[in-house]
Amino acid sequence: MSHDQAKPLSSLHPGDEAMVCQVLAKGRIRQRLLEMGFIRGAHLKVEKLAPLGDPMELVIKGYHLSLRREESECILVSEED
Amino acid sequence: MTVIALAGNPNCGKTTLFNGLTGSRQHVGNWAGVTVERRSGCFQGPDGPVEVVDLPGTYSLSARSEDERIAAGFVAGAGVDVIVNVLDAANLERNLYLTAQLLELGRPMVFVLNMMDDAEKKGLRLELLRLEALLGGPVVATVGNREEGLQALRDAILRAAAGGAPTRGIAYGEALERELRAIERELHRDERLAQAERPRWLALNLLEGSPAAAARVARSHASRAIGAQVQASLASLESQLDGDGATLLAERRYGFAHGLVAEVLQGPAQPPVDATARLDAILTHRWLGIPIFIAVMIAVYTLTFVLGKVPQEWLNGACNLLRDWAGSRLPQGELSSLLVDGIIPGVGAVVVFMPVIMLLMGSIAFLEDTGYMARAAFIMDRPMHLMGLHGRSFMPLVMGTGCNVPAVQATRTIESRTDRFITILVTPLVSCSARLQIYILIAGTFFRPVQAAFAILAMHFLGFALAMAVGRLLRSTLFRGEHAPFVMELPPYRLPVLKSTLRHMWDKGSVFLTRAGTTILAGATLVWFLSHYPGIANRSWSEELHRETAAVRTLGLAEAEQASRLDDLALAHRSRVLNTSLAAGLGKRLQPALAPILDPDGRRPEAWKDSIALTAGFVAKEIVVSTMAVIHQARPETPDAPGGLGAALLDRSGLTPLTALAFMVFTLIYTPCLGTVGMILKETRSVLWTGFSLVYGLGLAWLMAWLTVLGGQAMGFA
Repeated sequence: MSHDQAKPLSSLHPGDEAMVCQVLAKGRIRQRLLEMGFIRGAHLKVEKLAPLGDPMELVIKGYHLSLRREESECILVSEED
Repeated sequence: MTVIALAGNPNCGKTTLFNGLTGSRQHVGNWAGVTVERRSGCFQGPDGPVEVVDLPGTYSLSARSEDERIAAGFVAGAGVDVIVNVLDAANLERNLYLTAQLLELGRPMVFVLNMMDDAEKKGLRLELLRLEALLGGPVVATVGNREEGLQALRDAILRAAAGGAPTRGIAYGEALERELRAIERELHRDERLAQAERPRWLALNLLEGSPAAAARVARSHASRAIGAQVQASLASLESQLDGDGATLLAERRYGFAHGLVAEVLQGPAQPPVDATARLDAILTHRWLGIPIFIAVMIAVYTLTFVLGKVPQEWLNGACNLLRDWAGSRLPQGELSSLLVDGIIPGVGAVVVFMPVIMLLMGSIAFLEDTGYMARAAFIMDRPMHLMGLHGRSFMPLVMGTGCNVPAVQATRTIESRTDRFITILVTPLVSCSARLQIYILIAGTFFRPVQAAFAILAMHFLGFALAMAVGRLLRSTLFRGEHAPFVMELPPYRLPVLKSTLRHMWDKGSVFLTRAGTTILAGATLVWFLSHYPGIANRSWSEELHRETAAVRTLGLAEAEQASRLDDLALAHRSRVLNTSLAAGLGKRLQPALAPILDPDGRRPEAWKDSIALTAGFVAKEIVVSTMAVIHQARPETPDAPGGLGAALLDRSGLTPLTALAFMVFTLIYTPCLGTVGMILKETRSVLWTGFSLVYGLGLAWLMAWLTVLGGQAMGFA
């Protein structure tokens, strides 16, 4: 597992687990994502997508969170097997 | 008086705990200048009352949203004696992020592990004494919805207030601490700045890149030196630790939270599949999620607007009784008209909203407390986002088809100010049941049955389409650049506490009465004045009515015949007053402006009368119908005299099918009714935005009605 394999969180599928590498968003969104637990090395699991395909539900720091594609696109993760 | 601030994440059970602590002694208001609710209450200590202030639930104090700004401003201010930090015991790590910030404030703190029952169900065991030692303050375990542990909490608060030790901030590691100290040193150059706020707290916020902190420093005479140090510190941290300030601080805070949890918490590594997971497998299921959501919406709608209609009709009936009683007891004249036609219906227009408001707010609070509202937003966010709105905007828009007034209030559940304001501004475009009465009358009169049904349906679609278009337009113009992230917690499902739901219903209802009620009553009185003066004060007209009434009575007609003649006389008099009123004068003056939509061919001299009906309809849209009856002197429909208002309109209004359709379009869109305006003012607390909703409604209504006429003419209709 290394940063070369980092890909946007939005490309993950339900059931996938991953580790946060980097938050690319800026300003207020970045701050919010950091506070909600998207820090380097944080473990997350994609739970499901909403019935219409967006947003995404995931589990991070032991709680459930939903993110729009807009936000999940700017979080880089590396997938875990 | 001792002041306690209750701080914690959303969904940690803070409000239930607050209700338990303070009982019925609470006050609901607003934080100064903003629309965020401020709840405070008291409980009795040995040395007098203790005030408890319930802060908005926030994940952090970084002051990026309205809620966070308020929470941060209050809790870091000088007026707080003890900070009570409520933590969800079943979700400790994320909750401790806020704690890491609160610890910096140097006040005595009490930590509450709430929802201990949930944690136990998850098989989690917490060592409270160990946690107490690590946090540096008393820890109390509670189950808020069963009121367990409340007395222990009160005792802990009182002890902390009497002499609790101030907390110490967490250790950020050598490199960060060094930079923090360097920034603090620069902050001390400005003594006023260093005294107004804890320098370390300000230094942390500056490193994090908080715009609010930067703005405070910018006003200082030492701003240049401070700014330079912050830049130097950030550069040094970047090279040493490979991260910007915000990232590094968040990492350290989560590091603290993680370490703490590892020390005090024991439980299964993999949480068991709980009720929430099982429920979510169904409620947000790919195929079942949407049908279930629709069923929930139908249930709420039915409860609010079908069941709510029953008490609404009682209230309406009571108002009418009062009105008839007052009308029959008081001598005819201006004062009795003010009471009978102005104030009593005005009060009526306020109180009839109470049942629907309380039922809808109760339903929403119930769904919110169960955790389903977050799922509803999750399911509906995609289509709403395309409209420039938020998943949580769906509920207000759908409920708007029943009544816009509670729908505007329902936008309270939308967290971001931008999303909330856009939703408030487009909700009035959703056609409500009051407007349906106008469509039924107009379409039923001027169209064939199938056409009429189609026209009525088209109005509803047009309303939604416009809401969508205006939402997008507002998002890309007036609200551009205020994009709030959609990062929404899906809290565990919980059983709501009935007492909280009922209290919430009562609060919403009473706040509506006091805040919006006054606006509505004032508006109703104004409209009464506009539509009755100067005719109501015309002595010779009322004497004429008296004479003619007396004359009819002397004819010795059969009782039914006499009553009908008397009604005709009274109606003619009212019609005369209305058609010469200030509103009528206004209508005549506005005639040129309205001509393109209501009189495109210049063959409708009566067009100005429509604006009287529209003015009166400002109080409540259904009044358009009864006003038209007076304007056109329509007799009530009876078995032997069919037709009623419809016949009178065909006969005397001069409307053609095309102008009738334009009239319908206009009533759909033009200014929200008074109740809605009162509610918009209450919810936005901005005269400017309320005025904006009035003005753009009128402009858009004119435009769409005009397009209707143009389109109709192009297609060969007249």
